[in-house]
Order: sequence, then C-alpha cells, then structure tokens
Amino acid sequence: MTPEKIDQLFDYVQERCLWQFFSRAWDREENIDGILKAAAALLTGQPPALDTPMDRLFYADAKVMVSDLRERFPWIEDSGAAQIRDLLHGLKDKLTEFTITKSLNHELNHTLY
Amino acid sequence: MPMVLLECDKDIPEREKHIYLKVDGEDSRDYLPVANASTIPGTLSERGCAFCGAKLVIGGVLKDTIQMIHGPIGCAYDTWHTKRYPSDNGHFQMKYVWSTDMKESHIVFGGEKRLEKSMHEAFDEMPEIKRMIVYTTCPTALIGDDIKAVAKKVMEARPDVDVFTCECPGFAGVSQSKGHHVLNIGWVNEKVGNIEPEITAKHTMNFIGDYNIQGDTQLLQQYWDKLGIQVIAHFTGNANYDDLRAMHRAQLNVVNCARSAGYIANELKKKYGIPRLDIDSWGFNYMAEGIRKISAFFGIEDKGEALIAEEYAKWKPKLDWYKERLKGTKMAIWTGGPRLWHWTKSVEDDLGVQVVAMSSKFGHQEDFEKVIARGQAGTYYIDDGNELEFFEIIDLVKPDVIFTGPRVGELVKKLHIPYVNGHAYHNGPYMGFEGFVNLARDMYNAIYNPLLKLAATDPRATLSTPAKEAAE
Ligand code: SF4
Repeated sequence: MTPEKIDQLFDYVQERCLWQFFSRAWDREENIDGILKAAAALLTGQPPALDTPMDRLFYADAKVMVSDLRERFPWIEDSGAAQIRDLLHGLKDKLTEFTITKSLNHELNHTLY
Repeated sequence: MPMVLLECDKDIPEREKHIYLKVDGEDSRDYLPVANASTIPGTLSERGCAFCGAKLVIGGVLKDTIQMIHGPIGCAYDTWHTKRYPSDNGHFQMKYVWSTDMKESHIVFGGEKRLEKSMHEAFDEMPEIKRMIVYTTCPTALIGDDIKAVAKKVMEARPDVDVFTCECPGFAGVSQSKGHHVLNIGWVNEKVGNIEPEITAKHTMNFIGDYNIQGDTQLLQQYWDKLGIQVIAHFTGNANYDDLRAMHRAQLNVVNCARSAGYIANELKKKYGIPRLDIDSWGFNYMAEGIRKISAFFGIEDKGEALIAEEYAKWKPKLDWYKERLKGTKMAIWTGGPRLWHWTKSVEDDLGVQVVAMSSKFGHQEDFEKVIARGQAGTYYIDDGNELEFFEIIDLVKPDVIFTGPRVGELVKKLHIPYVNGHAYHNGPYMGFEGFVNLARDMYNAIYNPLLKLAATDPRATLSTPAKEAAE
C-alpha cells in the first residue's frame, strides 16, 4: 500500500462521487462504509451483498466506481485481496477525515434534516 | 490566502468569508466559504425570498393545482411564469395566477375571511380542479392569519378537494433555500402516505429535484419508459398533486437537485426505508453514469447499456461538433447553487469548456464542498455574489460566456458578454443526452453571435461604449 495510490483513489472519489457529500455526518458515514464495503467485495471477486434495498444502493454506486477505478488505474488489477483491503481502508480514513471529521461544513451535525 | 477580499468589498470586509479562490495544494479542510447565512448589510444581494423558494421552485410546478398566494398581488406576480416549466396538460400552471390581493383594510382587520372567499371562488371558477396549495407571505404571516384553520374549513365544506398549506413567508429564512426546506418537510409530514398508487411495473422510483424546465422531466421520462421503470412521483416536474402523496411506495429515490429536494429524500429514507441515490442529469458522461447506477440497483444492466448506446449513437456526433468549436471557452456560472457542481465538470469533460468563476445564491456549504471538489484551481467560488463583485470578477477572469438568470443577464449584456439563461434555459431542455446538445448549441450561438460585437459599436463614432454605470 502506498499513499500515492490512496491519493489517486481519493482524488477520483472527490471528483466523481456525490455520495460522500450527503447532508449530515451520519449519512456520509453510512455511504462511505456501505459503498467501500461493496467495492471491496467487487474488487476481490466476492459476491456483494444484495439482500436489502440499501445493499443494492451501495452495490449500484460501488459498481460504477469499481469499473472507473479499473479503467483509470490498471495497477488495481495486479493488487492482491489484502492489498485492496488496505487501500480501501486508507481511502475510508481519508474520506472520513475530509468529509466528516475535518469538514468545515457547519450543518453536518444538525440534529434534523 | 485563498479567501478573497475584492476591491469593491473594501467597506464590507465580511464578504471575504464568502469568496474563495481555489489554489493547488489546499482543500476544503482549510477553507470553505460561509454560505446559507444572512446577507451582509451593504451588499445588494441577488437572492429571492423564502416564499419564492417554496412557490416558484417547487409547488408552482404542479400541473393540476391551484396556487393560492395569501398576500399582496406583488408576491403572486413575482413568482409566476418566469421559470418556464411546461406540462403535458396544456400548461395549466403557467396560464393562471391566484392571489388574495391583500389591501390595507384586510391587513388591519385580518385576512382569513378574504382567504376563505378566494379559495371558494377559485374552486368555483375552475370546477375541474380539486387540489390547492395555500401560501402565507410576509404580511399575512405578520398579522397571524391561521391558514391551516381556513384550509380545514374549506375542505369540510368541499369534501372532494384537498388543500396543502405552506407557511413560509419571505422573511422566514436567509434565501429561497428556506422555502425549499419548509415545503419538503411539510409535504412529507402531512401528505405523503395519504394515497396508494396504482403499481404498473416491477420497478418503481421517485425522481426528485427536477422541475421540468423546458421539458427536462418529459425528456428523461423517455429513458425511464425504455427501462421499464415506473416513476411514481416526479418531485415536482410535470407532476400531479396526488402523485406526490404516493411517494412512500417507490423502491428508490433518485435525486437530481439535492439542494431543493434532498430533504424529502432524506425523510423518505428515514420514515419508509427508501434508499436515496444522487445523480447528475446534465451531461453525457454523468447521464450515462446515472442510468448505469439506476440499472444496477434494479438489476437491469443490459437495458441500461442498450439505452446508453442508442443515445450516444444518436447524439454524441452532434455534441462533438459543438465540442470542436467550444473547446477552450471560458464560462462563468452564476445560478442558484447546485448547477455549479452539476455543470462544472460536465462542460469540461463533454465540451472542453473551462469554468472560471461560479456564484451561488442559496447554496449551502455542502454545495461548496461539492463544487470545490469538482472545480478547477484558479477558479472563483462565490456565495451570494452582488453586482459590483460580478463586475470585478469579470475583469479578473474575462469569461467568454455567462450562464445566469435574466436579471443578471441583462447586466452582462450591457458589457457585451454573451449570456445564456442558466435557470430557465434559452432553448431547452438541457438534461439528458439530447438536452446537453441543446445546451452546447445555445452556448455556441451565444458566443458566435455577431450582434454582440455590433451592439458594442456606436455607429456615430469610432468609439465603443460599454455601459458600466453601476460600477462607476
Ligand atoms: S419578501 Fe414577503 S412580501 Fe416580498 S414577495 Fe416574498 S413573501 Fe411577498
């Protein structure tokens, strides 16, 4: 795992993915967790969970992301399962920092929508 | 030092917190413009009022509903027919405007009787219409008229009608945004779940935050028909009042305008467990991505790919013709908020256009997080911009075309810079594949229009005289 590779994935997500910018901290956290979990399954050849409507939502977002990542970053195909998990873990930490813990958005923790 | 204090803002230094210049090496953890905050005294805001956000943007789009505006006549006229959202029933909502036309005596003695009379009069005049939204405005809210009680009385007298009340006077919030919020939350609390829809397809969704501007909804509907997805409610493009009471039955909420309608999608997720999928409906790349996600959710990927291939074959050559001629164009976007982040990357990727300045009237910080993540370095990101700031920014970035509303558009025209209506479009629809070709065509026509050069020339002299009185 290299920080450069995590940065590449992070830059892609920042530019393309609306799900990281939902209205509240809890929505963002739910999306980041759910979508990166589905992405990990897809990238490591595991069947993604499709049992609930939320599972299918995360799958839909992850599917497009994974196909873009494969196209943009061919090195991802050569990464082993453990490395993929590490990369996505690093991505999750960075997304959480930028969009939740260090976000300057004052509305993130408002109790209502 | 990326927060910017413009020359014209020297006497209102608080404006510095609202204007951001993106530079490489910094990110939204360091700087994020203040947004959705009260307009600063001394700055002449371009914003609309909170009532306008509820009526003009969302409620007024409904094609089978009387929009009773309880207030002076100006509130009604100012929020009527400027948005160009047609419908497939002869544009009922654009032909008529309803107001209680409050005068001084009603303000002094109370306006409830007048409201009741007006509601009956409207239903009597239009016997085929059985649905109504009643809005308070500043004066009727201040005198404390109880519009909910009046609506209840009218519904008791007329059992076949249904009335929704929206209590969001102009002063209720800092901008239109408050009106979006009040209508969203009021509707989901009071009306959703009241009606059971007829389910005609295996796959169902609501399409949220699309107002059929010049036919956007109707264009996208062709895609959903091809995919075999039943749209239970469009919130609120080309929609009937009762469609929106059945939103709880959809399997998926697809959100385009997250700013004006993200609230109802969030509440539907919370109350009914319906997932919220945000997409961008403007641009080839984005539209294809949205269709792919929706298809993946329903497990109909093959149909999605076939639709995208068909649309690309039909429209991509036309888009590319414009791209060839628009490459390198410098564009400014001065609209409500979400179009900044919907458009900045789509015009860049699909048309080779570079967005150099963006201003939002009612976006929140969430909108700035999105647009700064997507937009370029060297671009200005402005919250609640005013006229003098626009002049100064134009001098700094020298845009070739500006997408904004007709009011700012008039100002821009005086500087002989091409303007395209970014709110209601010049010749839309702009959504979807066909729509983005329309947008490209309007941009091309604006930039290559020889009239602008001619207009800048005074035939009596050799001097060109750009009018810039307001800035001087
Ligand atoms: S600010 Fe108040 S009085 Fe003015 S248009 Fe809006 S609701 Fe009407």
